[in-house]
Amino acid sequence: MRRFIDGYYNFLTVLLGISVGLLVIPVTLQMIARFTALIPSWIWTEEMARFLFIWMVMLGAMIGVRDGTHFDVDIWPEQKARTNAVFRIISTIFVLIFALVFVWYGIKFVQFGWNQSSELADMPMTYLFISWPLAGFTWLLFGGERILRDIHFLRFGPGPGDDQPKERELGVGSVV
Amino acid sequence: MISVAMSPGVAALWLFGVFFLLLALRVPVAFALGLACLPVLIIEPRLSPMVIFNTTFKAYNSFILLAVPFFLLTANLMNVGGITDRLVHLSRTMVGNFPGALAQINVLLSVFFAGISGSSTADAASQGKIFIEAQVKEGYDLSFSIAITAVSAVLAVIIPPSILMVVWGGVLQVSIGALYLAGVVPGLLIGLAQMATVHVYAVRRNYPTYPRASFKEFLNAAAVAIPALMTPFIVVGGILLGWFTATESAAAAVIYAATLSLVVYRQMGRKELWHALLETGRLSAIALFCVGTASVFGWLLAYYQIPKALLANVTALGLGPIGVGFFIVLVFLVVGCFLDAIPAIIIVGTTLLPLSQSVDMHPVSFGIISIVALAFGLVTPPYGMCLMISCAIAKVRLSYALKDTLIMLVPMLLVLSALIIWPEIPLFLPRLIRPDFLL
Repeated sequence: MRRFIDGYYNFLTVLLGISVGLLVIPVTLQMIARFTALIPSWIWTEEMARFLFIWMVMLGAMIGVRDGTHFDVDIWPEQKARTNAVFRIISTIFVLIFALVFVWYGIKFVQFGWNQSSELADMPMTYLFISWPLAGFTWLLFGGERILRDIHFLRFGPGPGDDQPKERELGVGSVV
Repeated sequence: MISVAMSPGVAALWLFGVFFLLLALRVPVAFALGLACLPVLIIEPRLSPMVIFNTTFKAYNSFILLAVPFFLLTANLMNVGGITDRLVHLSRTMVGNFPGALAQINVLLSVFFAGISGSSTADAASQGKIFIEAQVKEGYDLSFSIAITAVSAVLAVIIPPSILMVVWGGVLQVSIGALYLAGVVPGLLIGLAQMATVHVYAVRRNYPTYPRASFKEFLNAAAVAIPALMTPFIVVGGILLGWFTATESAAAAVIYAATLSLVVYRQMGRKELWHALLETGRLSAIALFCVGTASVFGWLLAYYQIPKALLANVTALGLGPIGVGFFIVLVFLVVGCFLDAIPAIIIVGTTLLPLSQSVDMHPVSFGIISIVALAFGLVTPPYGMCLMISCAIAKVRLSYALKDTLIMLVPMLLVLSALIIWPEIPLFLPRLIRPDFLL
């Protein structure tokens, strides 16, 4: 199971990196088209950029749950590792509740998207809307994994390769 | 008037009550905002949780917000591409002979970096790694070194380009070009205030200095750094000349930074490029995801007309423009202690907008004082990202550098007060260059 989750996580990470790299392309095309005659002023570039952007946000939000990088506000004084684990279990339960909302209503959202197509490229909106329930499923997977790991930690202490989730990386927390 | 089942007071109690409860339980802000909307969406017969989907979709489906990953990518590319080293060298030839030279270089580099990147946390992370250890080695106090690195990093969102200004312009429908121009003078003033603070510290504590660089050395350093220093002119100039939109200018900056790092300075390979792409995606996506759930929260506040109810008491005070300005700044300073700046803009900025309009405050002026106040929030605990990053690099707790940080904030707050009392300080540059942006 762990290997499956690792593989899925790596797959999402690669998709995220690609989506960031691709984002630059339509916007650049738009500028090239404006200042040169090399390419026609395609109208779909703006829409493509926005749609890639939505996927990028949703992919990053999925990965963030496994990384533990969705930022929280820490108003409590420094706690012991066990207390932190308990806190993490509680907060992850709430993340799972939100994930269930994303799955349950997200499926309705996707069904609703079949009847809509995008303004410019005439693409069914489902291709975009599907990222919401997918995010829900992914959070259930990653969040569930984290809770099991913390329960294991509480019962048996840190095991080999199963120690405390790594500390936050520097700079993670806010783009501002 | 739409009939609603809940009164504004009850709805506000649900929204804020659940939100703060979840925050206290360490639920991530983005999820806490979304979950806080759930009870109201379920109880109110006219609403359903589908609002979450429509509103988040609308929030993400925005061409303007695309600029956020672009700005971050520019900063990441510049950091790995050897551009920072060249700017450090240039700063040294300019302020190396001042008392507390290394700390002055720290501030000046933040000014340069602010013109290239729009992200304070990127600045705090990259400069923290360079300066904190180096300063301590030269005999500076650790808490001083942490504090100056953190407070100078906030310049990145005040001097254009700025992620906060893009978000503000997008959410509150203000010209981003005008905000950029209006941020230049306040940013430089705050930078000067910080250099003055460093000077006083350095003289009193006898911090070391370097020999004066010759004019020729300065010219050489400047020549090497000029390609990097051109970035703000491409970003801001492109908008001012009407060549690009804000988003396109950010994409142009990405291409420019990538060219510099890959071709001109040649210090970046494929591996570093991929790393920069991934880090950009990770960080911008989690921040932008929060924009979505904050928008749902903000949408519900507007639905119940909670801002109007909250501000009724303030409006009754009959404050003038200056009084309202101080009130707005105070709110943002307090909120900035607890909330990230982007959700703060979406929730609090839209809430305070009618108040600023009631005293005829210029929208650009309202934007600038709010953005500066939110920028200061980046170094105020418990949620002061720049201070947290600097302390994490130095491996000390947040409270360690708190005193020096608060001392350094005093002159910065004086500059902010000046911006409130004399709105022409931020407004005169846009008025001079592009008066049409202010309409």
